[in-house]
Amino acid sequence: MTALIEITGLRKQFGGLTAVDDVSFVVAEGEIVALLGPNGSGKTTVLNMISGALAPTSGAIRLAGEEIAGLGPHRIAHKGVARTFQLVRILPSLTVGENVMAALAFRHPPVWGGAAEARVETLLEEIGLGGRGAERADNLTYIDQKRMELARALAAEPRLLLLDEWLSGLNPTELQVGIELILSLRRSGMTVLLVEHIMEAVRALCSRAVVMNAGRTIADGPTEAVLADADVIRAYLGEDHA
Amino acid sequence: MVRALLAVIFFAGALAALAWLPTQFGAYGVGLLLGMTGYVTLASAWALFSGPTRYVSLATVAFFGIGAYTVAVLSETLPYPLILLVAAAVGLCVALVVGLATLRLAGVYFVIFTFGLAELIRQLVTWYEVNITGTLGRYIFLPISGEQIYWQLLALAAVTIGLGWWIGRSRIGLALKVIGDDEVVAAHVGINIARVKLALFAVSATIITLVGAIQAPRWTYVEPSIVFNPTISFLTLIMALLGGANRLWGPLLGAVPLFLLFEWLSANFPNHYSIILGLLFIAIVFVMPQGVLAMVERGWSRVGQRGRKAEPAGTEAAQ
Amino acid sequence: MPTTAIVSGLVLGGTYALIAMGLTLQYGISRIMNLAYGETIIFFAFAAFLLYSAFGINPIAGLVLLLPLAFAFGYLVYGVMMQPLVRRSARSGNLEVDSILATFGLLFVIQGVMLVFFGSNYTSYNYLNVGVNVLGATIAANRLLAFGLAVLIGGVLYLALTRTRWGTTIRAVAVAPQSAPLVGIDVNRTARFAFALGTMLAASGGVMISMYQTFTVSMGVIFTMKALVVVIMGGLGNLLGALVAGLLLGLVETFVATYIDPGLTLAATYLIFLSVLLWRPAGLFGKATR
Repeated sequence: MTALIEITGLRKQFGGLTAVDDVSFVVAEGEIVALLGPNGSGKTTVLNMISGALAPTSGAIRLAGEEIAGLGPHRIAHKGVARTFQLVRILPSLTVGENVMAALAFRHPPVWGGAAEARVETLLEEIGLGGRGAERADNLTYIDQKRMELARALAAEPRLLLLDEWLSGLNPTELQVGIELILSLRRSGMTVLLVEHIMEAVRALCSRAVVMNAGRTIADGPTEAVLADADVIRAYLGEDHA
Repeated sequence: MVRALLAVIFFAGALAALAWLPTQFGAYGVGLLLGMTGYVTLASAWALFSGPTRYVSLATVAFFGIGAYTVAVLSETLPYPLILLVAAAVGLCVALVVGLATLRLAGVYFVIFTFGLAELIRQLVTWYEVNITGTLGRYIFLPISGEQIYWQLLALAAVTIGLGWWIGRSRIGLALKVIGDDEVVAAHVGINIARVKLALFAVSATIITLVGAIQAPRWTYVEPSIVFNPTISFLTLIMALLGGANRLWGPLLGAVPLFLLFEWLSANFPNHYSIILGLLFIAIVFVMPQGVLAMVERGWSRVGQRGRKAEPAGTEAAQ
Repeated sequence: MPTTAIVSGLVLGGTYALIAMGLTLQYGISRIMNLAYGETIIFFAFAAFLLYSAFGINPIAGLVLLLPLAFAFGYLVYGVMMQPLVRRSARSGNLEVDSILATFGLLFVIQGVMLVFFGSNYTSYNYLNVGVNVLGATIAANRLLAFGLAVLIGGVLYLALTRTRWGTTIRAVAVAPQSAPLVGIDVNRTARFAFALGTMLAASGGVMISMYQTFTVSMGVIFTMKALVVVIMGGLGNLLGALVAGLLLGLVETFVATYIDPGLTLAATYLIFLSVLLWRPAGLFGKATR
């Protein structure tokens, strides 16, 4: 398996605070990898640096061998990285269809006009929002907003999909649907890096997990082994449980 | 298809009727038409950029003045069409420099900068004229009648509104909507925000420069304090806001009645003109910040929603 | 003579620092970007002129009379104009743009009122216009007095903000407007108070300017710009930054006027403004950009 994304010595400092400290890991083509860790451990910051929302203080991020660290988000998007956000970000004044269309119209190469409209409809269908393209995005329920956000990320046909707690806040039935959806992405060959707190989902989806604590990686390996690791349990539950 | 064709025919017909109007009026009427068309163009061009991006530009008169001054400087050395080209080019260059310098920054810095830009350019031009050329004012003697200026402005207004229509249907229009809603999402779907903003700002500023250039022959005598009069920025802004800067026809709808009102006010209350202007402006910001058109639309959709409200709830229950 | 330029630059910078402090209070605490700020300054410059020329009240006594008036004016403007916008922005988040537009309208109203009462001529009056020797440089006494007043008012304000409980309240709102209510601070009242205080500083700046400079009704924009440049140089909401940046601007202007060309001082101001925006958007003394 070839590495799709390769992170080495990644650091991010906010003033005196080091949010991410010397993080290195690799995600191979076609893999679904979980990025775990307690709140404030720096997972979202890592995701933000991969997507270009933040520039790293130092370190390298290679996408299929090409250095992307410090590029603007639109350039990284054009290289095939799409994401969802921890707090859902919809475009409230646009319709559901336009929300998805936005990703089609500005990817490389762009899809526009009749072809784009057809593609939007297919994507919405796949994600469970078929026929609702004309509704205003801010009238959607929370779960539907999450669906729409995923459809927008998928519209870019990314090589790497970043999901930031996309499954959180779903009820048990919705969770099963969500897991099924991500599994279908894996079957299509997409590489996914996800930040998640729901262990059930992590176990079901991810072959491998990287665990962070206080800005550093403390474990990296097969999911079951990592979740049984003493350091990981200590980081999540405290000294007494180790 | 048929509807599009009908729209084009209607648009062309309306334009022809407007072009024919000056033959029906005397000099005063032509002057009025000319000024009104000028402001329709200014407000529409202003809204091209400031409407969707919500970057409030207070620099309208800076570009307007640049256009007028270029004509004043070159009126005796170059043929008229070439002067217009040069003016447009100068406006474009200034817009690119200003845009590159300020559009990366937060909106409030942009507003502040444009607020002072007109004053800066006015001072620089004054300084240049006093110290280098030794004269403050300039005369423009160009054989261009009021009708001809009106026709040029009418064409420019049509182009501007046509451009607005085209942008609304193009990818760049969608990009602007996305940027207006959430810049983070915009960047992450691959939109080069800085480039879109810069392009729009440059187009809008170039049109505004052309309005200044086309209107310049009306003055005969030009000096910095006349062509860089901040009231022009102010009027443009208030007209676009009244009609609704986010709607294609909004600026036009705001410009026509307000222009007539201002004409009447400046004729009847010359001393209290700017007080009334200011109060009117504050009232617009308070009562209808989104403009008349948006208010009307909201009223409509409220009426419509009463009928539709039950439907989405029904589909949800079925799932 | 460089000493003359330095001394008169610092003296001019004192006024700039003072008016910038007022604007930074209004923007940093009340979150109102007040484009009519310069018009307020000019308005009180005319008021001082009127008191001096019509009633023979000297500017110092005038200041004592005018400051409470300015406070009341600011309090009223915030209550009538800004409060509805603040309330509305809780939903739309448009306070910045709304306040810019509303105060842009206010600018024309104040300017119009002044035009009606004072006309559009250059105005000045003679008060303490005698030379005083300072470190070998000759400075007009009225400028020195203005500088002394600026130091006094600015110093009192700075101490009040940093040393008193009341000042802590104001600074808390500046730093964290969302969290301030959690510790029992009435944000709205504080914002209104800060806005009024800012107006008061604008008024004192106006009175000082009237003492040593000619002014016209249409000059407000220039003062707003200068105050804004200083505020941004010093970092939004940073009082000490405004002080240093204000003195710096005074120096730069005086040097440009003395050694290059008096007609280019405003251009120099803009050049500084742009440079600061491009290289240090958080201000010369700000922390890393957010």
